[in-house]
Formats: sequence, structure tokens, C-alpha cells
Amino acid sequence: MAAPLPDVQLATPTPPPLPSLINARQLRAQRMGRALRLWVPAGILIILLAICFLLPLVTTLPSATRGNIIYNNEPPFSQGHLLGTDVQGVDIFSQLVYGGQVAFEISLAVTAIGIAIGGTLGVVAGYASGWVDALVSRILDILIAFPALVLALVIAQGLGPSEFHLILALSVFGIPAVGRIARGATLVIRGLPYITAAELAGTRRWRIIARHIVPNIVPGIVTFSLLGIGVVIILEGALDFLGYGIQAPQPSWGNMIANGQQILSAQPEYVLIPSIALLITVAALNMLGDALRERWGVQ
Amino acid sequence: MGSPVNSVPPNGALLEVEDLQVTFAAGGREIRAVAGVNYAVEPGRTLAIIGESGSGKTVGCRAIMGLLPAGTLISGSARLRGTELIGLSDSQLRKYRGSDMAMVFQDPARSLNPTMRVGKQITEAIMTHRKVTKAEAHEQAVELLRLVRIPAAERRFFEYPHQLSGGMRQRVVIAIALACRPKLLFADEATTALDVTTQAQIMELLLELQQELGMALVFISHDLGLAASYADEVVVMYAGKIVEQAPAKRLFGAGGTVKMRYTRALLDAIPHLERPAHTELPVVSGRPPDPAALPPGCSFAPRCPSAADDCRAKEPALTEHAPGHRWACWHPCENGGAA
Repeated sequence: MAAPLPDVQLATPTPPPLPSLINARQLRAQRMGRALRLWVPAGILIILLAICFLLPLVTTLPSATRGNIIYNNEPPFSQGHLLGTDVQGVDIFSQLVYGGQVAFEISLAVTAIGIAIGGTLGVVAGYASGWVDALVSRILDILIAFPALVLALVIAQGLGPSEFHLILALSVFGIPAVGRIARGATLVIRGLPYITAAELAGTRRWRIIARHIVPNIVPGIVTFSLLGIGVVIILEGALDFLGYGIQAPQPSWGNMIANGQQILSAQPEYVLIPSIALLITVAALNMLGDALRERWGVQ
Repeated sequence: MGSPVNSVPPNGALLEVEDLQVTFAAGGREIRAVAGVNYAVEPGRTLAIIGESGSGKTVGCRAIMGLLPAGTLISGSARLRGTELIGLSDSQLRKYRGSDMAMVFQDPARSLNPTMRVGKQITEAIMTHRKVTKAEAHEQAVELLRLVRIPAAERRFFEYPHQLSGGMRQRVVIAIALACRPKLLFADEATTALDVTTQAQIMELLLELQQELGMALVFISHDLGLAASYADEVVVMYAGKIVEQAPAKRLFGAGGTVKMRYTRALLDAIPHLERPAHTELPVVSGRPPDPAALPPGCSFAPRCPSAADDCRAKEPALTEHAPGHRWACWHPCENGGAA
């Protein structure tokens, strides 16, 4: 049996703690910050969507198109009118809710059309290369070269005012924007060895596009689309403001700002309230897009 | 091209490459990346193509596989069991790719689709070429994963590439390449991105599989050490041309007879444990020549320690000086050139 080691040998001095580049608290804060950057804008958007689409279903809101002139110009937080009423006595909160519905419907539809048509064109152009790519790219370039607002204005004017026509007009901006991003992302993926490997294995072209290219460009398209939704909401508001979009008495954020503008000095809240709604929505979309980009490592 | 091929490739060669030339047109200039290359590979044999970056080793193989961009000028001949591959259209080549010849790439991290389960990527390769049901393809894929010695193959089938290590990924890449039992496998720097231990494992695996399946293996590398350990035949390329070609046994090992200064320099550049510590590693001095502006005469002459005036005047042809051993040099090394 071995003699027990003397205490002197057992009691080695504890080494000083290693200096770490980043301590646990910093790491936790970093993780927290990253989670907040994603979930705060996501939460804001969920709340906004719930207010716009669910609230009218579960409660009865005052009419957003007709009001009683007797109760006009009510200040915010007055009886029955959370945000007050406008010159015609129409409830402002209701207008905000239904205007928000319009804004979300149009921007989501435009983005969906952009992804469907622009995404397809971009991926096919990027993968096919050659004259197909040249043709598609030039068309997209031409569309992008036009000032988006002016072009949308001309088209909305030509088709006549309606929500559907507004979607078509704004798609002229959405399609080439997504198309360019999709083409660029496809070119990057195309150069990677696994695409060559799939081609070498004799995999058919449509299958390479569907299974190997599309899943790998989705993160880029989604983050870009979130930013795109914000831009479309602003453009839609601008068209409404200029009178080429949603027509009164149907409410929209752009309409509300246009109406409020006439009495801006007397009652600035008529312009401020829809503007703030617009600002919060677009800022949340941009922040969410940035957070996802950071998370997915998209350039 | 004046490279007299004295011996006809032996009968039964799987791949015969004759006077293969690849020319890129870049900005009005013509760059000849491969300038007349001849070799043959028999079934079950291993050929190593060795050279520095830009010596044309990868471009040559890509030309055979039909992987070069449109507009590249390819001439000469590459016959796979008598079928001419050069000049075939993409859809015609598709019949041979995968089923007759396959390729393993350098970078295992980017050779797999990150959004697809690895098993799915193997079954895709199987189902492209064979009329099998999904269940059969699945079974064959698991079998392939076992073949490339992946433990717990049934479980790995459902994993994504990021869940595998580099060596494991390269095994999957090899499994995909082998999915349709090709007769010829190109390994383009297939072990370069891996650490030395994994490198050896992958090379051993490739050789074992080659024996099991009777494939011909062409591996492209800049590492003469790998060639010495694993190849039957070695081709050394410089500036788009073969400068020395010999059975591996003749070049390396005891009594090796390296004739080219360039091959010697590549060999000397391999670190050896026997050398005393802190000795400077000999390097091949100078830089590889610009393929658009090759020097007259021998293209290695500007970097060659034994270059003489005749080297700079006239280009030596690749000639068979000894049985099976060809070299292109006016002043070949004596005694294997050992320093």
C-alpha cells in the first residue's frame, strides 16, 4: 500500500483564473440583445396585425367611413372614440385599423407577387445564363431605372383607382427588385461545388433549381422582402396621399395624412397619428429584416 | 505539338487521353491552359496528376468531364472505353457522368447542399440514373454510407451536412460519386482540405473502394508524397504540359530515378521528419510562368538550376527514354538528382 502523499504536495496553489476575452455576463447580454432585436420588432408586428385584422372581428368598432357631424373634432380619449374623431366626425381609431388592413393587404400582395414572378425570373435567369439572362436582366434593369413612384402613379392613373389596381401598379416596383436579388443569389449558389456535383450526377435542371438553388436563396429573399414590404407601405401611402390610390371615403393611412394636412396647424394629431402608425410599422419591418439577416448571415 | 507517343496505350485502357489541349479566350488573349497531354488509365489502376497551381491539372480533367464554361476551346481526344468524350453535347455527356465517370471535389464543406439531408443527396444521385423505388434507393444509400465506412449509417442518413465533420462530409461526397458505380473516378485535390490523419484515411478508403469496385482512379494533387504512397503511375505537369511520366515505383523509394529537376524540386519541398529541426525547407524558386506569355524553349528553364543555353532555345519533347519512363528535359538529373 502506497504511503499517503504529504499534505504539502496535495495542496497545490489554485492557479489564477485565466483572463477571458469575453465574460459570461457579456455573453449573456449579447445573447439577450440578439433575441430582443428579433422579438421586439416581431412582437410589434404581431400586435399591429392583430389590431388590424382580429380586433374588428371580436369587437364592434365605430364606422370608419361615416360619422356624426355633431361629434366632430373630438379630442383623443373622448367617450367612444379612443383617438377622437375627424372633421366629419368619423372615428380616427377605426380609420387607422381599416387603413392598416389596406396597407398590409396591399404590401403583402405586392411582395407575394414580387417573390412569385420576380423570384422565378431571377432564378431562371441566374441559372440559365446566356441570352435568357441577358434578356431578363435588361428588362429588370429598365424597370428599376424608372422612378418607382412616378411609374406606379402613371399605371394607377391609367387603370383607375382601386385596391387591386394599386397592387398591380406597385408590383412594377416589387417584381424587378426581388428579381435582381434572386438572380444575384442564384449566381452565388450556382458557382458552388455542390451544384456542379449535382450537374455531374446528371440531375435534371428543374430539380437542381427546386432542390439545390431555391432552398439556399430563401433567407436572402425573405430578409429583402421584409425591407420591401416597408417600402411598399410607404409607396402605397404616397399614392393615396396624392389621390391616385385608395379613394375616400374608404380609409387608408395615406388618405388620413392627406385629409389632416388641410388643418395641420389647428389639429396636428390628424397627420401625426397615421404617420406614427406608418413609422412604427416600417421601422418594425426593417428591424425584423435586419435581425433575420444577422441571424441567417445573409449579406 | 511535338510529343512523340512511342508506345500505344496498352489495350484495355479505360480512359485514353491524346493530345488534349484546352485554350481559354480571355480579353482578346488566348491562354493555353493545357497544351497537349497524353495518358491512359487502366481499370483498377491509380494515376496521380501532380503539379503546382495553374499547371493545368484540374482544367484537363474538367475538360474531360465537360465541366468547362462554354466558349472554351478543347481539342484532342479523350476516349472512355473507346467512346470519344471531347465534343459531346451536355445532354450526351449526362449519360456518362455519374454512371461511367464521377468526380470528387476539393472542398467537402461546399460540395454538399447545406439545406438537404445527406441521405437525400445520395438517393437523388441514385434515382437519376436507375429506375428504383424510393425504398430501394434509401436502402442503397444506407449501403453506400456503410461502404464509405460511416458509422451508424441509418442515423447519418437523416443528418444535415453541418452535423458532420470534414472527413465525414468528404466520405458522403465520395458516396454520392460512387452512387452509380462509376468505372472512373476523378479526385480533384479530394484530400487537400482535410487534416493529415483524415487525409490518409480518405486516401486509404479510395484505394480500398477502387479494389472492391475495380474502378480506375485519377487523383489530382500538388502533393508528391501522396502520389508516392498511393499511385501506380505518376504524371507531373508543368505549364500545361506533362514533363515527366513514370510508374510510381520508378520515381520514388529506394533507387528512385527522378529525371526532371522540377519533379526533384517538388520532392525536396516535402518536409521530412529525419531532417534536423529548423533547417530551411527547399522551395521551388521563382513563380509558375504566365500561361499567356510562356518563355521560349523549356518553360521551366527560368527556374531550373541546371538550365543551359539550349534549354532556353529549344523546347525538349516528352520522350520515352526508359521503359515506361518519359521525360522532357535536355539535361536530366543523374542519380535521381538527390542533393
